[in-house]
Amino acid sequence: MLSRRLSALTAVAVLAVAATACSGGSDPTPAPSGSGAAAPGVAAAYQPQHAGGDLHLLAKSAGGSLDPKVNYTLQYWQLFQAMYDGLLAFKKVDGDASFTVVPDLAEALPTVSADGLSYTFTLRKGVKFSTGAEVTVDDVAASFKRIFEVDSPTAGTFYNGIVGAANCLTDKATCDLSQGVVVDPATNEIVIHLVAPDPELSYKLAVPHAAINLAGSPTSDAGNVPIPTTGPYMVASYDPNTALKMVRNPAFAEWSHDAQPKGYPDTISETFGLTVEAAVTAVQNGQADWIFDPPPADRLNEIGTKYAAQAHVNPLTAFWYLAMNTHLAPFDNVKVRQALNLAVDRDAAVKLYGGTQLAQPVCTVLPPGFPGHVDDCQYTKGGGTTWKAPDLAKAKALIAESGTAGMEVGITTTDDEVNKAIGEYVQSLLTELGYKATLKPISGNIQFTYIQNTNNDVQLSLTSWYQDYPAASDFLNVLLSCASYTPGSDSSINISGFCDKDVDAQMQTALTTEQTDPDKANTQWAAVDKAVMTQAPLVPLFTPKLIDFTSKRVGNYQFSRQFYMLVIQLWVK
Amino acid sequence: MLRFALRRTASAVLVLFSISVLVFLIFFATPGVDPAARIAGRNADQATLRAVQHEFGLDQPLPVRYALMMKHLFVDRDLTSFVNRGVRVIPQITQAVPVTLSLVVGAAVIWMVVGIAMGTGAAAWRGRAADPVIVVLGVLGVSIPVYWLGEVVNLLTQSRLHDGVFSWVPPLGYVGLTTDPVQWALHLLFPWLTLAALYAGIYARVLRSEMLGALDEDYVRTARAKGVSERRILLKHALRCSLIPVVSLFGLDFGALVGGSALLTEVVFGLPGVGRLTYTALQNLDLPVILGTVLYAAFFVVLANAVVDLGYAALDPRVRRA
Amino acid sequence: MSASPADVAALPPRGSAPSTPAARRAGTAAEGPWRRAAGQLVRNKGALASAVVLLVVLVACLLAPVYARSIAHTDPFTSNVSGTTVVDGRTVPVLAPSTTGLGLGVTPIGPTGDPAHYLLGADNQGRDVMARLLYGGRNSLLIGTGAALTTCLLAGLVGVLAGYFGGVVDGVLARVLDVLWAFPVYLLAISLSVVLLTSGLHLGPVHIGAGSRWLPVLIIGLVYVPYVARPLRGQVLALREKEFVAAAIGVGCSDWRIMRRDVLPNVLPTLVVFLPLMVALAMLTESALSFLSVGVQPPQASWGTIINDGLGLLYTRPAVTLGAGVAVAVTAAALNLLGDGVREALDPRARLRGAA
Repeated sequence: MLSRRLSALTAVAVLAVAATACSGGSDPTPAPSGSGAAAPGVAAAYQPQHAGGDLHLLAKSAGGSLDPKVNYTLQYWQLFQAMYDGLLAFKKVDGDASFTVVPDLAEALPTVSADGLSYTFTLRKGVKFSTGAEVTVDDVAASFKRIFEVDSPTAGTFYNGIVGAANCLTDKATCDLSQGVVVDPATNEIVIHLVAPDPELSYKLAVPHAAINLAGSPTSDAGNVPIPTTGPYMVASYDPNTALKMVRNPAFAEWSHDAQPKGYPDTISETFGLTVEAAVTAVQNGQADWIFDPPPADRLNEIGTKYAAQAHVNPLTAFWYLAMNTHLAPFDNVKVRQALNLAVDRDAAVKLYGGTQLAQPVCTVLPPGFPGHVDDCQYTKGGGTTWKAPDLAKAKALIAESGTAGMEVGITTTDDEVNKAIGEYVQSLLTELGYKATLKPISGNIQFTYIQNTNNDVQLSLTSWYQDYPAASDFLNVLLSCASYTPGSDSSINISGFCDKDVDAQMQTALTTEQTDPDKANTQWAAVDKAVMTQAPLVPLFTPKLIDFTSKRVGNYQFSRQFYMLVIQLWVK
Repeated sequence: MLRFALRRTASAVLVLFSISVLVFLIFFATPGVDPAARIAGRNADQATLRAVQHEFGLDQPLPVRYALMMKHLFVDRDLTSFVNRGVRVIPQITQAVPVTLSLVVGAAVIWMVVGIAMGTGAAAWRGRAADPVIVVLGVLGVSIPVYWLGEVVNLLTQSRLHDGVFSWVPPLGYVGLTTDPVQWALHLLFPWLTLAALYAGIYARVLRSEMLGALDEDYVRTARAKGVSERRILLKHALRCSLIPVVSLFGLDFGALVGGSALLTEVVFGLPGVGRLTYTALQNLDLPVILGTVLYAAFFVVLANAVVDLGYAALDPRVRRA
Repeated sequence: MSASPADVAALPPRGSAPSTPAARRAGTAAEGPWRRAAGQLVRNKGALASAVVLLVVLVACLLAPVYARSIAHTDPFTSNVSGTTVVDGRTVPVLAPSTTGLGLGVTPIGPTGDPAHYLLGADNQGRDVMARLLYGGRNSLLIGTGAALTTCLLAGLVGVLAGYFGGVVDGVLARVLDVLWAFPVYLLAISLSVVLLTSGLHLGPVHIGAGSRWLPVLIIGLVYVPYVARPLRGQVLALREKEFVAAAIGVGCSDWRIMRRDVLPNVLPTLVVFLPLMVALAMLTESALSFLSVGVQPPQASWGTIINDGLGLLYTRPAVTLGAGVAVAVTAAALNLLGDGVREALDPRARLRGAA
């Protein structure tokens, strides 16, 4: 995932993942009115005395389309949790258990065939859309087809393994998934056939892109027109310039407390347009309940002291990094890349992000606590397994060896406060190292695609990656494999252009091992991480934490590691 | 007169056309602007990208794209945003218009009243202490960046002094006039004052210099000699004549503001007007909305210019042949 | 575009400069208009005070390197995020992490009152604000003056040509000015800056990159041309009807000669009057463009960029944005007052605005 705003969160928890995904846990700050004091991993019982009220959320701008198959932003995925359901879902609880996949519209977890190519589900009976129509297997079949009809962003990356998908991707008109998704209305059975085993399929079925829509839904992006929902809420109105309003779904009756629990507020509205500074003030004054955007740097101290009881800090499985273009000078020289890794003061980057309580320096691609992560740091002063300090002397020596001193280097970042600040620091560092560095801040709406397109000759860029689901492949394979590098395209997520045949082969081995032995696979992923960092196509900076700032009246704050704050579980009464 | 009016209209249309072409060209010369990838989502694969490009007509040559966009904007009136799919541009603009009008009209009333009072006062008390004070105040108003002033006002009214002196200040945002007139006015109070602070100074100084000039004219001297009171001279003679250039200036400024040039004020105070729409569209590089808002703004500037020109032509025949 | 009655009745012609044999023969009983104006200006207390203020600002900004090197011992262009400094005898980090409550956020040190150690405090990169203010003033004044000169130059050219030749020339130029006037400056600025991000513009020997100071000078200079060109054009239109010009034509002078010797000296005072006002306007526009990340690029500073950076620190360290805001306001105010004085000296009747 790119960033909070542009990323989608899909979390799937493999058993091994749940075991190894340790540290942090959920927010250590005592929430004011406490949650339901349930056992960890178990969804708290519904407390009717807190039901009701209007929850007022704020966001700087709208998040795009209302169509769950099209939207790929965290902003709306957080809200879609309360509206749409797939065959499977992530457990909507606080803490690590939120990585667990549980059956949602399916009655139980799928039965997987021996060769891993068939997944059998039985559809739950009695679940209704907000129109009153019951969810049938025909809706399921139509929904999978719709993924390709609307050009879902992950159609080609998540769902290309379904039989018939390859043809759907190239020719929508003749799209036929009848062999890939076989449904039987008599038995309510759904069987998904794959062309190759995919241990991550459960995850992919639990994200909003795989939500079940009513058959007959528009075959193109629904855009601003609300479509029927199955969850406890539905969209009442949506104007991207003013607000998104959600109300209770009258046809909803809770069927699984883990997968889709009933919500507390009667209405939820997300208003757009206030600057983030103004939004923070509004929450402080009790005029709003929560802001989606991260608070600006100069309000953090205030929030952490005067409003500490309303601030919730949680670790994320993500990292911020500098991508170096391995095809452009001076970064085509491995010495220069290693030098930059040695020279960057990650403590400075952490300070600019908001301090040690909000970020932690990293040296590896996989974040701490992530499956496959092993503490290792090849670029710190004095050696060791964790980062301690920059080593400017060694860096300068390496640069001298490379003979690239004096070259022009451009650093591309987004133009928001934090990114620009870190970019300015890197520019200052590069100047100190002997380069002619310039900072190029560009609008956050185009920066991500801009730095991916090799036609733009971007040498160095500041960017971030947030997990799609907790599997090492989501970081290493997606970001650094040869297949993710497409020159001349706006969609080439391997921004460094790193393509090493040996490392690619190692990744393939790890992917295959994943199907049978996840633990062994994780060790292999750790080795891949180390191999990648030896060639240093990027400079990992830090792993961020998320801060949620809620108003005084809000209670029952719960943090799912997959979808972050559980919006509809908040109490406003 | 009619020929003059026709010529003016023709040139206005030409100007609008040139602006639309320029905006379109600038947008497509801007690198990284291909909306297909952003619409398709992060990490979309090539087939998805191509499909989106085709759907939005982004693979056609430039003149065709321009013609299509103009057709959608003016003929079919269904031009939709690139960023918010399905949202039409024209309704977005029409919804934002009342907000901008509320802001601009209110601020205009305040700055005209204050500006004229200050300008007249400065001219009347020329030479005494009040004159330079008024001039300096006016100059300061012009010299302060409006978004800076707005942020400082917010800092004081919403945050620092919100618990005390300014507890009556409502949260930022806009409330419709028909929904609740009192709240409408309260929400707009500080935006009005901030915007008016900028323009009051300008008008005070312009009026002052015009009036000083008028007070030197022969007919004023004659009136004084005839024994007319100074106050009557000031208000009935000097002020009336000085108001013409002030009014023409007002026409130009008002035209520009209605078109959305108060965008920084709207952004800082969270008012969903045309200015803020332009600002977000620029940030998002959403071409259809940019095209719509820029043409809307240009239209008002051109209209205001034309009205003022026609006014002068009606008053002074010499001008018609220019 | 047409002339307003205000323009038509604008400046009374001054006739030729007193270098003609006739004037010389008449003796130096009449002071030259420039001399007269200068004398009047000096007598104007407000204008004089403004000039002094401007001089102080200018000198302070020119001495920026001296301040940075010898007084503050700091490099205002290198980030100092992890650095330390001495306040009240204690060594403190320049960017101090919060230690109370949840310990969130990092705050730069505030004004210390000690010129050797961050007089006005540090900005979010740990740099000395006072030193950056002085260096920033250089850029702001440079851009302001450059843009104003560009505007007056181009406006003078366009105004004289359009007003003198009339007809087709006037028609075309007037339309160009209309387009320029109606075009939103922000769009122009953002697009140009994004376009120039990659390669920059090469105009002969001048290379304009995204960070080049020529970019804001050109944009701002261009955008305000109609503002000055219109009143000027009206003035030239009126001048053209005057007898001395008709006489020159009758005598057989070429167009260029007439423009140079008869028209130009009469419009020059208008341009001079506009100049300080345009500098003030350009400086304010530059600060607005910095809001959009256009113009002066990091680590260089201008008052606009410091205001913008300071807004991000408004709630913890308001001194940063207040300092730069006050600097802009005082300088612009002084320029405006000086402009008023110049106008009163050169011609109290000049109509500066209100031209259609």
